[in-house]
Amino acid sequence: MPQPVIATVGASPIGRTDLPGRDLFSVALAEAFEGLPDPVDLVGAVYVGNQSETYEHQIMQGTLMAEWAGVGMVPAERVEGCAAAGALALRHAVKDVRNGEHDGVLACGVEKMTAGGTGGATDALSAAFDRAIEQRSGVTAPSQYALLASRYLHETEATEADLAEIAVKNHTNAAANPRAQFSEAIDAETVLDSPTVAPPLKLYDCAPVGDGAAAVLVTTAEIAADLGVPAVSVDGVGAAANNVAVAERDMTHIEGAAAAAETAYAEAGLAPEDIDIAEVHDAFTVCEALLSEAVGFAPEGLGYQSHLSPEARDDGWTDVELSTSGGLKARGHPIGATGLLQAIEAYEQLTGAAGGRALDGAEHALLLNEGGVADAVTVVHILSAGAEPDSGVATGTKEVTR
Amino acid sequence: MSDDRLTADSPLTLPGFFDALADGEFLGGVCADCGQVLLPPRPACYACGSRSIEVEAQPRTGEVYACTAVHTPPPALQSDAPYTIAVVELDSGGRLTGRVDAQFDDISIGDRVEMRVREPTPGERSLALGHELEWPVHIFDPLDG
Repeated sequence: MPQPVIATVGASPIGRTDLPGRDLFSVALAEAFEGLPDPVDLVGAVYVGNQSETYEHQIMQGTLMAEWAGVGMVPAERVEGCAAAGALALRHAVKDVRNGEHDGVLACGVEKMTAGGTGGATDALSAAFDRAIEQRSGVTAPSQYALLASRYLHETEATEADLAEIAVKNHTNAAANPRAQFSEAIDAETVLDSPTVAPPLKLYDCAPVGDGAAAVLVTTAEIAADLGVPAVSVDGVGAAANNVAVAERDMTHIEGAAAAAETAYAEAGLAPEDIDIAEVHDAFTVCEALLSEAVGFAPEGLGYQSHLSPEARDDGWTDVELSTSGGLKARGHPIGATGLLQAIEAYEQLTGAAGGRALDGAEHALLLNEGGVADAVTVVHILSAGAEPDSGVATGTKEVTR
Repeated sequence: MSDDRLTADSPLTLPGFFDALADGEFLGGVCADCGQVLLPPRPACYACGSRSIEVEAQPRTGEVYACTAVHTPPPALQSDAPYTIAVVELDSGGRLTGRVDAQFDDISIGDRVEMRVREPTPGERSLALGHELEWPVHIFDPLDG
């Protein structure tokens, strides 16, 4: 099977912008393809992660982005899984390349979240929750995660102050990331004194609303070598759906995330302790704690120590560095683009392009993107530095073809 | 695989479940193979995959399993905020989310609650789709002691 790699990446600015979704996508694509052949010469299929058509009253995002990329008459579709849409798009691209169906696939994500204001975003995100019981009870995204946080703080020794420190860490990391929505460090008091959104979560426990787009070219190691670009290999992919309703899941053992990670580790032939950096889905601070446990970085009940340096954490933790990008919390969370933004951070870290936030010697990265409150759907990718052209049986031409 | 109960008057569908709830019957699905309680009832068990689902009356009492309050509601529910939300574990073991008719500061995990149903408020009706207009809304009341 061909070895799928990420060969180039690009993103729009993240936050409140004047640009609609398709234009944000164009900005991301222009960065990704700078100095390369045009997308029409490299892209055989397009997958677009996009959370909601309510922001721009626009579906057909697959067709639209293919059109705006100048790539007509290829398979193109929108992928939906609330905040996991971006990683689902990446997963489809990786599968297509691995299967030999296409040797270049564009995985992208786009969201124009600010179009309807805070109320519009609240309504649009609420559509991810069970309509019959949850939505009709008036739940919101923060309140859903607050239910998880409520239970987590009840069952573990973690405190609201610990969760605040996760936000502090991720803002600190974002300050070193030129792609981040927030560029200023904050202190724990800022988090703890911020307005209550859904107790125990406060405003600064929550990722922001923002616009943004991201694009990633998945291709073969051979083509990446021909293009002369640095590439990272996609060595493992896992995905799992759990129940939509939060009440019907294990609320402190995020089983869907664990299942997705298990598949990805098995495909990659790696274990949690092999992972150097990870972007886990910190839409709310408690997620980083819960997901660190689910993917095997932290012992049960100790995920809240993710804000500490590796040497300061309790025994049983791995040395992984979490959310070097600033995470969803501070890098930003333009929903459909988030899974690709995670991939961009890994690409930059593993190709020596992460500047002042680079983790020396990082070889393996884990990306966890989830949608619909924790593990309603989870996608895990494991990426590795130093993609080499396949030395085994040739499975495709070395020409750049569609 | 066939099931002749998948009609709008069967509690294995949402209209049937909510019609029964409006009539005072709180029904859950119970997996005949593994015992998992399914709220609302549905044709298959998410825990084991079985399609042998019995419909059984559920207890209205249970305890708070997790709780929070919504301070930033959907716009149509702005006048209700802040309102309390809990995951409640019924005495049957089934769990569901719902509003609690109490201030957030007055409830805790482990508190006993009892479910009742009411008509949708005007705000809730404004959010309802046509087929949902007559569906009651469930809410939990704290039980003293």
